[in-house]
Amino acid sequence: MKGNIIKYARDNIDTDVIIPGQYLKVHDYAELATHAMEGLDPDFHSKVKEGDFILSGKNFGCGSSREHAPIALSHCGVKAILALSFARIFYRNSVDGAFLLPIEISQDAYDGISEGDEIDIDVSKNEIKNITKNQTYKMKPFSEIIGKIIAAGGLFKYKPDQD
Amino acid sequence: MGQTLFEKIWESHIVVEKQNEPALIYIDRHLVHEVTSPQAFDGLRMNDRKVRRPDLTIATMDHNVPTSDRSLPILDQTSAIQIKTLENNCKDFGIKLFDINSPNQGIVHVIGPQLGITLPGSTIVCGDSHTSTHGAFGALALGIGTSEVEHVLASQTLWLEKPKTFEVRVEGKRKNPHAVTAKDIILSIIKNIGTAGGTGTVIEYRGEGITDLSMDQRMTICNMSIEGGARAGLIAPDQKTFEYLRGREYTPKNYESLVDSWKDILKTDSDATFDKQFILDINDISPQVSWGTNPGMTCDVDEPIPSPDKFSNGDANQKRGAEKALEYMALESGTMIEDIKIDRVFIGSCTNARLEDLIEASKIVKGQKVASSVNAMVVPGSQMVKKQAEEMGLDKIFIDANFEWREAGCSMCLGMNPDILSPGERCASTSNRNFEGRQGNGGRTHLVSPVMAAAAAINGHFVDVRKLDLN
Repeated sequence: MKGNIIKYARDNIDTDVIIPGQYLKVHDYAELATHAMEGLDPDFHSKVKEGDFILSGKNFGCGSSREHAPIALSHCGVKAILALSFARIFYRNSVDGAFLLPIEISQDAYDGISEGDEIDIDVSKNEIKNITKNQTYKMKPFSEIIGKIIAAGGLFKYKPDQD
Repeated sequence: MGQTLFEKIWESHIVVEKQNEPALIYIDRHLVHEVTSPQAFDGLRMNDRKVRRPDLTIATMDHNVPTSDRSLPILDQTSAIQIKTLENNCKDFGIKLFDINSPNQGIVHVIGPQLGITLPGSTIVCGDSHTSTHGAFGALALGIGTSEVEHVLASQTLWLEKPKTFEVRVEGKRKNPHAVTAKDIILSIIKNIGTAGGTGTVIEYRGEGITDLSMDQRMTICNMSIEGGARAGLIAPDQKTFEYLRGREYTPKNYESLVDSWKDILKTDSDATFDKQFILDINDISPQVSWGTNPGMTCDVDEPIPSPDKFSNGDANQKRGAEKALEYMALESGTMIEDIKIDRVFIGSCTNARLEDLIEASKIVKGQKVASSVNAMVVPGSQMVKKQAEEMGLDKIFIDANFEWREAGCSMCLGMNPDILSPGERCASTSNRNFEGRQGNGGRTHLVSPVMAAAAAINGHFVDVRKLDLN
């Protein structure tokens, strides 16, 4: 999975800035997407492209349980968030609805990857390749359940092993 | 080896669990509100599914209900649609709803305990991160997203990874319990462990500093567990818990025999161990005031705002975060908290809008007037809290002081209804989040206790409430 990086070099990006509360009444996902990251970066919607990845620091997606946050990001084309760590509800929301991949990265990947870099994510090898800079990093593997929900295509398609 | 309270509740709710696999956990109570449920009900319809246990599912409307005169129509059409949608969904799927005109309407985390729906040892979920509030009763209470709401509606279960255990021990006694409150204890905990300090854990709050607290105060503590990153917060039930729930509208008929069984089981065994521990001594803690844009950015009321260098302890992202926070908040490091002037005061939210919060705040307000430069409001956490407060004459105390006295709802905690800050306005707020834009685009939030908010309203700036006579 290839895409370009939009980098927010800070910790604690909360779901209120990802999608401000006033838009939680919006049910049309395309309209919701036009307000993604509005609280943090009003230019986000004009710069994001289909297939992009967001790179950020610790505790990404903290705060409210609003599933509108990964929905808004995915509906403007974001396929994965690469972060040093995630808040748990955002993390589960991202995979439950198969909206985007929450990928935990190491400090050297965080430091080494820059805005605009082209990245190739290979989940089967737990590898992140920075094509622009020709560097390769390890991603933290998904846990058993998360890997299975992702592979199934979301919570409602996941069926436990019948053994 | 003994078990922690969390482990006991978890184990007693396992439907399926295999080695190295997530567990399918049974859910005893599902609380539903208008914002995170519409897509879940749509999902049920699309797949021709029913609600598995409508009798264990309870709904109310809180996030975007107006807090002004309820005899008037709702002007915001998108809010009106969302509220109407919940009414229709509850009717179609046979779910009990406390609607906008119900005497039991209120913030979902305030009404659950008040109605005796929240019970010790149970599992409770809601599509809202502050579900952790119910942990004050020794319930395992988890905030979930909309996909999981749909999963619980359809199956009354959830696939969960087992969280780690985190003991937060609060030791000592507050010198002035009217001035230094549960809000100050939890803000102090988050300041120390950080906003991600509890990630992947269930916190159990223990120690004299916790058992001393009333149920209303314990709910304030557990409510903000999520601001420390935890999945849930728990406090072992005791006599105060059992008395609180006795005789409420939905308290089970066999309550006394339940209490007998809870007394023996619902506590952490003396030889149990936790994965993580933090100890807070509260003998000398001060009222807390947040200065930044997350709840960890908090300091004592008698301290200056820290410099980004001091706050970050050498972490580059933390430093940048503190610099951006100061810029957003239009504050400078070194400024004394008591020198910060405020424009608005919000006493409300699932953190601090229960009866005791309003009683304590009213003691400061009585016979005083809100500073002429300040616009202040009280939004009770539920219509029942509002009624009880009115029976005590608290409404008159607040109104005489020029506070607005509103109907129940989430209101200015999250800026979904017309109660919002204007860009640049600075608010002393008893809510739980000071994120950028949380209370309205460009609004600046300082998290404080109800007494600190009341004192700020009267004085037009923060004051150390320990200097006031609160008894």
